[in-house]
Amino acid sequence: MFEIRKGVFVDELRNVSIRIGEVAEEEEEWEAQGPTPKPGIIELRKWDHKLLERYEPFYAPVQDFCNLCTMGPCDLSFNKKGACGIDLRTAKARLVTIACSIGSSAHTAHARHLVDHLIEEFGEDVPIDLGGDVNVEAPLIRTVVGIKPKTLGDLRKALEWAEKEIVKVLHSTHIGNEESILDYESKSMQVSMADHVGMEVADIAQIVAFNFPKAKPDTDLVPTGFGIVDVKKPVIVVVGHNVMYSRPIMDYLEKSGRIDDFEIAGLCCTAHDMTRYRSKAKIFGPISYQLRVIRAGLPDVVVSDEQCIRADLLDLCSKMGIPLIATSDAAVRGLPDVSDWEVDEIVEALVSGKLKGVFLPVPEKVGEVAPKVAEAIFNKYKDRKYKFFASDEELKAEIAKCTQCMSCVFTCPHNLRIDIGMAHAQKTGDLSKLAILEEQCLACGKCEQACPKEIKIVNVIMRSNFDKLYTKTGKTRVGRGPIQDTEIRKVGQPIVFGQIPGVIAAVGCINFPDEMKSIVEILEEFLKRRYIVVTSGCHAMDIGMIRDEEGKTLYEKYPGNFDAGCIVNVGSCVSNSHIAGAAIKIANIFAMRPLRGNYAEIADYILNRVGAVGFSWGPYSHKAASIATGFNRLGVPVVVGPHGMKYRRAYIGKPWKKEKWWVYDIKTGQKTFIEPAPDSLLVAVETKEEAIVQLARLCIRPNDTSMGRQIKLTHYIELSKKYMGDLPDDWHVYVRTEADLPLKMREELLKILEEQHGWKIEWGKKKIVEGPLRSYDAGFNPTVMEEVFAKYRR
Amino acid sequence: MISKEEKFPIAKRYNVADVQVSKEATAVKPMVVANLIKKAKNPVLITGGALLEDSKLVEIAVKFYEKGIPIIATGGSSKPLIERGIKPLFKTYTLHQITQFLLDEEFKPNGKNFDVVLFLGFLPYYLSRMLSALKHFSNITTIAIDEFYHPHAKFSFTNLTKDKELHYAMLEEVLSKL
Repeated sequence: MFEIRKGVFVDELRNVSIRIGEVAEEEEEWEAQGPTPKPGIIELRKWDHKLLERYEPFYAPVQDFCNLCTMGPCDLSFNKKGACGIDLRTAKARLVTIACSIGSSAHTAHARHLVDHLIEEFGEDVPIDLGGDVNVEAPLIRTVVGIKPKTLGDLRKALEWAEKEIVKVLHSTHIGNEESILDYESKSMQVSMADHVGMEVADIAQIVAFNFPKAKPDTDLVPTGFGIVDVKKPVIVVVGHNVMYSRPIMDYLEKSGRIDDFEIAGLCCTAHDMTRYRSKAKIFGPISYQLRVIRAGLPDVVVSDEQCIRADLLDLCSKMGIPLIATSDAAVRGLPDVSDWEVDEIVEALVSGKLKGVFLPVPEKVGEVAPKVAEAIFNKYKDRKYKFFASDEELKAEIAKCTQCMSCVFTCPHNLRIDIGMAHAQKTGDLSKLAILEEQCLACGKCEQACPKEIKIVNVIMRSNFDKLYTKTGKTRVGRGPIQDTEIRKVGQPIVFGQIPGVIAAVGCINFPDEMKSIVEILEEFLKRRYIVVTSGCHAMDIGMIRDEEGKTLYEKYPGNFDAGCIVNVGSCVSNSHIAGAAIKIANIFAMRPLRGNYAEIADYILNRVGAVGFSWGPYSHKAASIATGFNRLGVPVVVGPHGMKYRRAYIGKPWKKEKWWVYDIKTGQKTFIEPAPDSLLVAVETKEEAIVQLARLCIRPNDTSMGRQIKLTHYIELSKKYMGDLPDDWHVYVRTEADLPLKMREELLKILEEQHGWKIEWGKKKIVEGPLRSYDAGFNPTVMEEVFAKYRR
Repeated sequence: MISKEEKFPIAKRYNVADVQVSKEATAVKPMVVANLIKKAKNPVLITGGALLEDSKLVEIAVKFYEKGIPIIATGGSSKPLIERGIKPLFKTYTLHQITQFLLDEEFKPNGKNFDVVLFLGFLPYYLSRMLSALKHFSNITTIAIDEFYHPHAKFSFTNLTKDKELHYAMLEEVLSKL
């Protein structure tokens, strides 16, 4: 018989709490753990210092004072120290660290928003499936964090690491911390590496949860530009970078069978991500199109989320009678939170004008509210679209107000001669001198703030060039996300050996120094020469606006594969992680280098072997700063347009200092002096001609085979002759053997080497006998890391 | 010392928001620029991308070269200069790189450090940052001879944006006094 024995009953445990934490599952042994999984703030310092020793930080102060604390403001000019002891150089290094922290936190918070929301909506077990051709699913997370994420839930571990590092780096910028520029630069690099992880988390999460294209080269082409919308339909405009909030608009309209009754178009990266969700969405353009689109009365409702949105969006929209729905807690815009209101209540408040805008961080409600508001507003103001002025008389009256005081000229980022355009129009009625300004105008609106007559200068410029602006429309290939492992298998060797002369990654904002078409001219030079061109974000949509004489954009002329002579649009800002990921995958898939927690070795591999160069022709945001710095830490040089100078810091090596350019050759076991390739990690150019030549020269790597070096030198020399008028200054330093010389010019170049550089040539065999810095060895195996040298030398 | 007559009144900056607390450039007349060049031990003219658009600036740069001032050509400005028979000291490096080099006392491409550097033909915001770097971190005498007043140069032409012809005339005047 069963007997109840004396013991503790459950009832008596009522005050005992039992917590079950994360169930620790043993991770699959997919790769041996490397030396730096989840690296702390100084764990990669040694690698950074290797880079910074070669690529010395350069500072170009925008201000020579500091006013961050109450003991200031302090005059730091001529490198003086402030009250806290910091000098001008270090203050600038700190400021760049802060800028990179802002950029990094933007992407990482975006990732956090997405991951938490998606886990709530779909559960944490959603598998990380990026398609059958992508097995190395998260190269950055594998390399930096040391984990192989299998589900949405696993992405949280990577995010937690990134968030911790951002906080630690931001802490280091407080008064009384670092005093060395090198340590601040190392921290910039750390936080920017975290940025790359944050971007990868965000994009993987949205690809798998929203079923975005998965590494597909031939995605759809979507209309792009100012003149893309049908004025007979209500227009919903989404703006920002986090598609999570506006995606349900598509779902709602599809479900209600009304998707074709509306136009849905975006500004900035949300536009990219809307098209990745459904290719019925369209792209207006980058941040410089916000004023153009809103002032032209195109939206019937605007849905904003976060990042790179004008800080006066509500003011702009309300002046045009356009209701605004703000959705992200990062940009509430002073609006009332209507999360708990009924949908019809919100719609009524916005349509009646009782509220100019609302804060509605509930994606499902946004999906229903936005179309209802758009339809009602469309019916209210049917004729206002594509009009900057009610009449030509109104335009004329606006132009007549100008006194040519030139206040606008000295405020304009490009010093555009608005005064000349206005004067000419006043005298002759001809708008052509105003029209040409539109091509370069960033539509920032600063001119209007400076104008004592309160002329709507942006509207005048846009109206003057209306026809061209309207027809500056084309097609963008929808962002494809990651690069396939199979593509890497195909191009890995030719990239590392140099037969594919380089990968040009055109990434970033719209602060171009000249007309938008210049980005296309630059990139087409490389596409024709069979470089791989990769793009994302604002650059990717600008490319989609510019058509050639036959009416085709680069996306229609060149395939979307990751291969020679192709152009790949990876997608939005956070998709930049796939570009860094492709470089990492080359080291892993082609060269079999282990990724897990092995960042420095992989970056060292990329620096010495992978001829990839980042290119930001119009850098603007803090995110662009952290993206570029993250690439730099990974061993990828970046060329920026002239506005990029205002980031204040660059990494520029001194090629004449021979002692700075060395590697360990794992094959011979010797420390070897090498050609300075690449000689800069971050450098600003002034003109498109200069951009082209710098991009070509920075693709050269010490590991190039003779065939590869020959191809790279051929392009470099040809481009220098075309755009600089002669041979490059430094072509000879890249010559190791006669086989490196371009075939067609071999004799001519040998003669120059002999006559101008004193090299010895055996003319019978057309052979270099003496002169080069080093000879070519097919087994050359470079590294700058002692640990890597020791590991592979064994 | 530069006399009152040799200076322009305080000029409008190329960008009204480019404000600093430290010394701003002295806006000088062509004679002063000519004298500074004449007194220099190793002057150099750095040219920028505007030469690709403005043939008059090319002509001016050629005349400086003919007066014995070496040229570092950046931004692609080497192309029209080489077509006119000029052999620039450098043509491949950007102004950004050249400025980094100038900050290093070991940079002696013609055997000596440059003590006076003239800048012609640049996007003003691009040049401004480089002048700021040279102002704070070097002892080089920088002279901006573009149409914009550059506060971070040691010496600059005044603001000539409204009168291109006057700018050209001032450049010619410098040359005539060398």
